[in-house]
Amino acid sequence: MKDLRINGVTKSFGPQRVLCGVDLVVPHGSFTAILGASGSGKTTLLRIVAGFERPDAGAVRLGEEVVDDGGHRFVPSEHRRIGYVPQEGALFPHLSVGRNVAFGLARGPKRRERVDELLEFVGLSGYRQRYPHQLSGGQQQRVALARALAIEPEIVLLDEPFASLDAALRASVRADVLGVLRRAGTTSILVTHDQDEALSMADQVGVLRRGLIAQLDTPSALYGRPGDAELARFLGESNVLECEVHDAVAATALGRLAVEAWTGPANGGRARVMVRPEQIVLGEVAAGAMEGTVASYEYFGHDAVVRVRPGSEGLPDLVVRVTGGTPLEPGHRVGLSVVGTVVAWPVEPAEPAISSE
Amino acid sequence: MTDAADHQRRPGRRRLPPLLTAGAVLVSVVVLLPIVFLVVQAVQVGWAQLHQLLFRNLTAVLVWNTVSLLLVVTALGAVVGTLAAWFVERTDLPCRRLFTVLLVIPLGIPDFVVSFGWRAIFPGIGGFWAAVLVMTLAVYPLVFLPVAASLRAADPAQEEVARSLGLGRLRTFWTVTVGQARLAIFGGAILVGLVVLAEFGAFEILGYRTLTTEIYSQFQVGFNEPAACALSVILVLLGALLLGSEASVRGHGRASRVGAGAARRIRPVQLGRARPAVLAGAVLLVAFALGVPVGAIIYLMVQGGNSTLPPASLLIATGNTFAYAAAAGLVATVAALPIALLSVRFSRRRVMALERSNMLVLAVPGLVVALSFTYVTEQFLQGRFYQTSPLLVLTYAIMFFPLAVVAVRAAVARSPVGLEEVGSALGVRRRSVLWRVTLPLIGPGLAAAFALVFLETATELTATLVLHPTNVQTLATQFWAYESNVSYSQAAPYAGVMVLIAAVPGYVLGRWFDRQPELAAVAGPVVVPGPGTLVAA
Repeated sequence: MKDLRINGVTKSFGPQRVLCGVDLVVPHGSFTAILGASGSGKTTLLRIVAGFERPDAGAVRLGEEVVDDGGHRFVPSEHRRIGYVPQEGALFPHLSVGRNVAFGLARGPKRRERVDELLEFVGLSGYRQRYPHQLSGGQQQRVALARALAIEPEIVLLDEPFASLDAALRASVRADVLGVLRRAGTTSILVTHDQDEALSMADQVGVLRRGLIAQLDTPSALYGRPGDAELARFLGESNVLECEVHDAVAATALGRLAVEAWTGPANGGRARVMVRPEQIVLGEVAAGAMEGTVASYEYFGHDAVVRVRPGSEGLPDLVVRVTGGTPLEPGHRVGLSVVGTVVAWPVEPAEPAISSE
Repeated sequence: MTDAADHQRRPGRRRLPPLLTAGAVLVSVVVLLPIVFLVVQAVQVGWAQLHQLLFRNLTAVLVWNTVSLLLVVTALGAVVGTLAAWFVERTDLPCRRLFTVLLVIPLGIPDFVVSFGWRAIFPGIGGFWAAVLVMTLAVYPLVFLPVAASLRAADPAQEEVARSLGLGRLRTFWTVTVGQARLAIFGGAILVGLVVLAEFGAFEILGYRTLTTEIYSQFQVGFNEPAACALSVILVLLGALLLGSEASVRGHGRASRVGAGAARRIRPVQLGRARPAVLAGAVLLVAFALGVPVGAIIYLMVQGGNSTLPPASLLIATGNTFAYAAAAGLVATVAALPIALLSVRFSRRRVMALERSNMLVLAVPGLVVALSFTYVTEQFLQGRFYQTSPLLVLTYAIMFFPLAVVAVRAAVARSPVGLEEVGSALGVRRRSVLWRVTLPLIGPGLAAAFALVFLETATELTATLVLHPTNVQTLATQFWAYESNVSYSQAAPYAGVMVLIAAVPGYVLGRWFDRQPELAAVAGPVVVPGPGTLVAA
């Protein structure tokens, strides 16, 4: 039972600060995703865990053992038992599938047996003699996974392993990989910039922003209760509206909305409220209800995204997600209502108005 | 772009490993020694004497002879090479694959053997136009190969688009095709210029006086070292001028590589009624460049019969040539490793400058390298090392060092750091990763680097003549001895063996380099060190 604990890890490359004190706990057997934009330092964090990069300060612990304290204490990667699956798999191009998987295994009579076992485990038995260039992207990814699992690692690190796959393949490879890791019961860390990937695969998601973990939570909590407006935007489309909050009820242009877990002053506080596109329901225009006109309609098959220009002045366009159905013509007038509770964040008086991205 | 990719793109953020850096700097210093020595010698000769030697009629004549030949051969080589490449790559010329092979092989035949072949069959030829003919035939592959590679990499659909926009066939060729290949054409042309500057044997055989032939005779025959030095300075300055112009053009050329280019095949251009004429032209080119020298060698050997040739000396010379070539190949490849490793894995400005500084040696003809070493061993070492095997091997290694760097660099690039990291994450020790991952991946490229230097050394004439130990004969020195005696049939077998050593594997290697995407992309000239290599970075 070994948890991974990262405490106060900092790292700079020259004048550029990449990590500014990252704290993270990855419980044994869990699947954790580190979500961040390009250049947020997520790959650097992963490389520090793998032992390819040294932190400037802070500590990395595997169970009770300190594997790196930024100073004298350093366990090189070959002694950490960490399975590393880099982008595009990085299979050894000159070795067959079987020999790739066997790379980290000690020589012996059991080696062949173990390789067959692993290939079967990832659904590639019969591919032992093939070479990496004869495999599809998804198959290469699974071989890389088998190779990483061969050494019975404490943790498997996945560095954007699906980024190079085309969209059609990505979902199925994701499912395959997740299935393999669940069955193996390994602790896994996935680094990605794709929020769908993070939310759909992980037990917990840590959002890395400007060198810090901005929020660490379960996918549903992260999506439903992001810590601030920027996180809300980062985790999916959202409508952020200015409002006043009284007694945990927000008075917004979309009507009075119940606020979940309000942390601001009880009576009368300026706030911003987040309404997810799927919380808004379009209906007939009715007296007293909020209304707007359809600005655009994008059809995706399983659902559609409608941009609605609210009737009252000074409001940004609203993004509404509806289930397919009949297309709405631009200019069509619709009624707007909100279902469920919303999240609101208090606004400091000095804070400037948010700009739409 | 993900930040992992960023990380690989900017590996310079890591600290330079001190041992590797020290090795790379040391190697660079040694490679640049000939230039340093030339400067030392020029200083010792003194400005007064240099001035007198430089500004006399003879110098003007030699510079005119050299530069006019250089310009004409470069222009002709560029035209012949480009047209041949276009016909082979883009038209319905019959037997295109066969022509690709036949048109590349002359690259491996030493220029002085081409010259020898023509002289043997047409004893009367000589002078400027003979030199133009022979050199053009010997050097056009330097343009042909990179241009063919870049045409293959470029998007052929652009030609179709141009035609659809109403441009005629000729204008399409001029604006689109030549446009696509212009970096390759220019890079190849610069190479041709450097080869013409450095050539000695071919001109000597044709009795055409250039800077190199005069340097050689001033030095070897007249023992006039100051005069040889003064002319060498001119030669190196001309070479530097060529390199400089290459670098300046490269800087503007980036835009011509748009996208990855389409791999799809399009219908080749129909030559129509011009087809027989083009075919005849291609056959003639192959006959002149390949048929004449090879035919002459075979003819001379058959005619000479088995009467006068002592096979033992041919065997010994072949053995010596192999030994020198292997030693030079080994030294150059090993010496190139630190610089290649640094520039691939720690590409930052200082490392790039170090790598490029080595390319300066391209501007120094082998004859000048040999003379500068002769001068230093005489002046400062009381003649020690002069005409010894180690110094000769060092000279070869320096001359062909840029070649080794390009090949080793391509090899090192095939083994990304990421693979080594995966290896060590799998619990395998570093040394073991080196044996099991790094070496198997870069091995073929290292072998190619070795083979390139080997081939160039095996056919090297000028520096060998100056620096070979008096009791050791190589194929080139024996050939030269017989040729100078007008014993053509005795010289022929030596030329024949050199062609066999160079042409056949040279062709195979040429194709190998052709397939290296990072080299083809910059149209890095193949087999012979080139300024294109400057940008392989």
